[in-house]
Amino acid sequence: MLIQILNGFVYGGLLYILAVGLVLIFGLRRVVNFAHGGLFMLGAYIGYTIASIAGFWVGLVASVTVLAVLGVVMDRVVFRPLQDEDPIVTMLVTFGILLVLEDLVRTIWGKDFLTLKPPAGLDGIIMLSGSSFPVYRLAVIALAVLVAGGLSLWLRSSRVGLHVRAASVDPVTTAMQGVDTERLGATVVAIGAALAGLSGTIAAPLLALSPSMGSFILIDSFVVVVTGGLTSFTGAFVAALLIGQLHNLGVVFVPAAASVIPLVLMVLVLLWRPDGLAKKRS
Amino acid sequence: MNLLMLRDVDAFYAQAQVLHGVSLEIGKGERVAILGRNGVGKTTIVNAMLGIASVRGGSISFGAETPRRLRHFTAARLGVAVVPQGRRIVPGLTVRENLLLGAATERPGPWNCEAVFGLFPVLRERAEIPGPSLSGGQQQMLAIGRALMANPDLLVLDEPSEGLAPVIVDELADTLVRLSAAGTSILLIEQNFSLVHRVAERYYVLSKGTIVESGSLAGLSVEVLKKHIAV
Repeated sequence: MLIQILNGFVYGGLLYILAVGLVLIFGLRRVVNFAHGGLFMLGAYIGYTIASIAGFWVGLVASVTVLAVLGVVMDRVVFRPLQDEDPIVTMLVTFGILLVLEDLVRTIWGKDFLTLKPPAGLDGIIMLSGSSFPVYRLAVIALAVLVAGGLSLWLRSSRVGLHVRAASVDPVTTAMQGVDTERLGATVVAIGAALAGLSGTIAAPLLALSPSMGSFILIDSFVVVVTGGLTSFTGAFVAALLIGQLHNLGVVFVPAAASVIPLVLMVLVLLWRPDGLAKKRS
Repeated sequence: MNLLMLRDVDAFYAQAQVLHGVSLEIGKGERVAILGRNGVGKTTIVNAMLGIASVRGGSISFGAETPRRLRHFTAARLGVAVVPQGRRIVPGLTVRENLLLGAATERPGPWNCEAVFGLFPVLRERAEIPGPSLSGGQQQMLAIGRALMANPDLLVLDEPSEGLAPVIVDELADTLVRLSAAGTSILLIEQNFSLVHRVAERYYVLSKGTIVESGSLAGLSVEVLKKHIAV
């Protein structure tokens, strides 16, 4: 049972790192970014390729860096020019980017499933209450906690973090105080994309790499974001852990219904609290 | 040198023109009011400065600078801070965080959280509570405090008396006069004459998007008042 719960936290951790990027981007740009799944998948493939040549850690850094740059480009070329358009337009464009990225990856890397080995030092197994558990999975949980802690510290106590929080709720008033919200938006999209790269690469030793891996996890990330309350970082954290557990228990106990369970949870939470977990019922 | 100068400004929302050739100027140490009824374009003057309404004719200068493109953040960075209509306290931030947001320009000057708490002691007591849970009068103090955090040369207030009890409006008038004595110029956009006559020395009257009268407040006639604002 302990092992099952830990596995739930591993998936929850991955979901959190991915979903918090969506929350950041939605907060500043008001964009429902379907391309995020594509960024996750691209991050996994870039991480995989560089890691095969130069080792896991170089692959991780490379993937995060490339995705951050891609985030800035996407903000410049897509989000900013479209910010005054109907949100549905931007959403469709990001969906298009997802499809393009999937085909691009299929063309470059092929359709076959690929797997990446965990880095040396984290490839062992430890015994937990009589069962074996991969060390790498514990490291993923630790990393998710680290990302959550780091992000929350950055948002709570840095000047830029304050500007990000303010611009997420009222971009015009924030800009009126002298904040360049355009540049701030680009920074935040870069961070969101970098986090997608991070979670893609750390997912590479856990999940089989395939061009469609992004679309699968994207659905669960959206469930996390909506359940957590769209703009809430704490809400996303709690929701990710919850969905991670449910997903995993579902896979073990009711495999046929596993993919439906997170959606059912989302519906129940929204009936109970229409604005998500983080907001008080009005 | 003028702190703020509008020269023949034509301002639009989409295709609708709201301001027609508006010119006005506010110099150092001045306390100026813009009067006018609802819907004549008073707030559009502020929105034009902030790049919210689009300026398609004329120019707006802040101090020595005449920016070619007005962005939301331009005015604050050039020393003109706005206390917007409806106060626009940012939800989700505490009172202190709302103040710190005002310091985004990093302009040097005397104002910081401590100085604002000195001016409005009640904000110190409530520094860690969410900004929107303050009363209307306290929110107005917070909005003024936040604007002061930018260390502006000119404070622009858009309908600050809106929704405030008369006794609070009197306090507001005293505060504005004190701020001006301490070196911050004031542009008051108002239709509440009891606030205007306590604060302003000079006025402009706006009607249908055009300046129709201006002069010193002492010379403002009852006829003009009756015609252009409700007393």
